[in-house]
Amino acid sequence: MDDLHVAVVERRMAALDVAEALAFVSDPRFGGIATFIGRVRDHNVGRVVTGISYDLFEPLALRTFRAIGERARAEVGAPLKLWIAHAKGDLAIGDLAVVVAAGTPHRDEAFRACRLAIEAVKHEAPIWKREHYVDGDSAWSEGCSLCEEQRDAERHDHAGHAHGH
Amino acid sequence: MKTRIALYGALREADASGHVELDVPAGSSIAELRELLAAHLAEHAPAIPAGLVRCSAFASAEEILHNHRSVPEGVELAVLPPVSGG
Repeated sequence: MDDLHVAVVERRMAALDVAEALAFVSDPRFGGIATFIGRVRDHNVGRVVTGISYDLFEPLALRTFRAIGERARAEVGAPLKLWIAHAKGDLAIGDLAVVVAAGTPHRDEAFRACRLAIEAVKHEAPIWKREHYVDGDSAWSEGCSLCEEQRDAERHDHAGHAHGH
Repeated sequence: MKTRIALYGALREADASGHVELDVPAGSSIAELRELLAAHLAEHAPAIPAGLVRCSAFASAEEILHNHRSVPEGVELAVLPPVSGG
């Protein structure tokens, strides 16, 4: 579909490009563009972070991005152009980890599509983050289970799993 | 049948090759594959937390395969620990 662009970008090859995303979702019909840019920050849970590495199961990640795009289109009920790109490999502080851009006729639709897409990418796409710390240690981030039975169990345990990540 | 399972995220630590190969009886469900993988890792990669396979999902390149699904023949699968993208 021409209105949806999904990509996984190996950091060694290129950085994510926000200008390219904005150009893609621009359209004479559209008066609103919302973007979310996720960047690598220098701390997490009280530890100094020096960089992160992203591991992805790429074919399923791209399919998941496309499914998210279709869901966003159905949800906003308006013409939509959507860009979802995620970085892969070793990233430095300040590098772009994820870029989501949504273009629609009006701002409300753009904000809703962008929010839906970034939350779904974080909770549903097969992507894993490993943080590297200033002391030389590193650790995989705690994540969100994709296992149906586990999700059901969490829902019962915590009545609404806070999703702080 | 032999089933090859690619490892991702924290489960990569289980085998430097990035995958494991399990002997899976024909007609097994994903729930049964989960038990086989948990037993395999308990023996060969004791550093992996025992609960990690329980909260991981299995998938082909096309879709997540939930517990009631059959293990597809001749397809490489992936085991996906809890995700942390974005």
